[in-house]
Amino acid sequence: MEARKMKLEKKIKTIFDIPIQEYVAPGGIFCQGCGAILAARLILKLLGERTVVVNAAGCFTLAVVYPYTVFKASWLYTAMACAPAGAQGIRDALDILIEKRKIDKNEDLNILVVTGDGAASSIGLQSTITAIHRNLDFWYLAYDNQAFMNTGAQKTETTPFGAATSTTKPTSLSPLGTEQEPLDLFSVWVSAGAPYVATVSPSYPVDFLDKVERAKEIKGPKLFHCLSGCPPGWNYEPALTIKVGRLAVESGVWALKEAVNGTIKHTYIPKKRIPVEEYLKIQGRFEHLFKPVKNKEAIEEIQRKVDKYWEYELHDAK
Amino acid sequence: MIKVRFHGRGGQGMKTSSRILGTAAFLSGFFVQDFPIYGAERRGAPVVAFTIISKEPILERGYIFDPNILLISDETLLLDKQTDPTKGMSKESIVFINSNKNEDYFKEKIGAKVIVEDLTKIALEVLGRPILSTLIAGVAAKLVGIEQKYLEEAVKEELEQIGANEEMIRKNILAATIGYNKVQEVKIEQTESLEPEVKVVEVEYNDPEISTPVISFVANSYLKKTGTWRVFKPIIKYQKCKSCRLCYVYCPESAIKWENNFPVIDYENCKGCLICVQECPLKAIEIVREGE
Repeated sequence: MEARKMKLEKKIKTIFDIPIQEYVAPGGIFCQGCGAILAARLILKLLGERTVVVNAAGCFTLAVVYPYTVFKASWLYTAMACAPAGAQGIRDALDILIEKRKIDKNEDLNILVVTGDGAASSIGLQSTITAIHRNLDFWYLAYDNQAFMNTGAQKTETTPFGAATSTTKPTSLSPLGTEQEPLDLFSVWVSAGAPYVATVSPSYPVDFLDKVERAKEIKGPKLFHCLSGCPPGWNYEPALTIKVGRLAVESGVWALKEAVNGTIKHTYIPKKRIPVEEYLKIQGRFEHLFKPVKNKEAIEEIQRKVDKYWEYELHDAK
Repeated sequence: MIKVRFHGRGGQGMKTSSRILGTAAFLSGFFVQDFPIYGAERRGAPVVAFTIISKEPILERGYIFDPNILLISDETLLLDKQTDPTKGMSKESIVFINSNKNEDYFKEKIGAKVIVEDLTKIALEVLGRPILSTLIAGVAAKLVGIEQKYLEEAVKEELEQIGANEEMIRKNILAATIGYNKVQEVKIEQTESLEPEVKVVEVEYNDPEISTPVISFVANSYLKKTGTWRVFKPIIKYQKCKSCRLCYVYCPESAIKWENNFPVIDYENCKGCLICVQECPLKAIEIVREGE
């Protein structure tokens, strides 16, 4: 019932509905063309300055370097494994302050955990699952650049099949680079019972922020799993960050969807999916699939998996 | 002993430069050390790398504080007080700066032997991208007096290791040769090799309240002025602009402000990623090279 109601009320309809207030200042130590800080900037446009950003170690470590900060919001830094535990601590403190009437209910703060995929999908998964289990009311932005980019692109659980990282370099023995399938963080959160789980892309800001705006009505853990382009790690020109994200969605590699209380719905279905090759070939991390000889088998396998996913999902939708 | 320090920005290839110089010197029969400062990997952020070349075994370890040769791949780094590229330099040091300005511009400011060449221009012509690793390595190899054949061998070896293809290696050997021939060999005042002293420094215990500082200001990072990171500058042609907001929304770090229904680029902070140029549907944003 609730899910059905949410479908109807689209709140951010066009790019002109995106507020022009800024809560992230320029000048942070992020790479040129960073997709992750773009995602954080967009989500904070709606959450505003009355937010505490809880940040696990990762690229965002350098968002705040004494004496500078990029955020208008408050910022708490935790170790890599325990950002959701940090969020729990702040939630408890706020609840106690409200209960003791030290602060007014209206002075309550949003709690936004921001971590990379390394913390979200591997190192910090335990504290995440337990926070979901306790139904902690918090937001989670997982900027997924598909490797440990802050330390030089080591493989994580979300590194896609066929990508080269500094720890899965393509060699004659393993010509694919990464041989495993990435962990499906979306499904992990859904099956853990989180009331709101979404995949987003900064290349689709209207879709992204519409999800954020509608999720405001939901109490409990809310995940925004964001595929954010990484120019040095994925090895493409910084100017192409938005294009890479768009190709990921249009080729069907990255599905934009949401799960409200377990009901999954695709919020954007590409009308005619472009070949995955278009998405792969502009990134240096997949170069070994094209040069010196094209690895047709591997590219076809990636295509087959994408087709299978959509066949299943779209059939389900009917 | 010759101590060479490289200053650049993430993505320009200074770490590779120091490696190529190290390998070339090693192939020429010297004892060598080369290493970068370990830090978070950031494209555009200041990077420092070191190469030490010696006829004797090198007993020292650690950063170079008294360089004989300084190679600065981006003149804007001279304005960066945190990096301070000329720190520890003596009057005898040789300073190479990559810039499209002339030598007199820097001579007074730096007060040492200054060599200036516009390598970015060459990189754009030869490699098609502003990557300076092999050009700077070529310059460095010539300055310290390494034979060209060892330089070429080192370029090949190092680039193969990072997975460059044959065409890239060929282009980069060409770039290294151009860098090599751009400058003259110079007489270098060498540093005496030191026996390292053993000195134990005790670190005092600090209360976490002191050792983890609190920042009571918000959103003040704009004071860092990351506009110096740019190689290319985006310029909005307002006659063509239809206020569609795409450049504004897609600017990763809010370096495009929305004022009076038009986008305005904050050049003090724009890092020059050029997403706005790529995404503008009307091609209303043009590019010029910084400093032209």
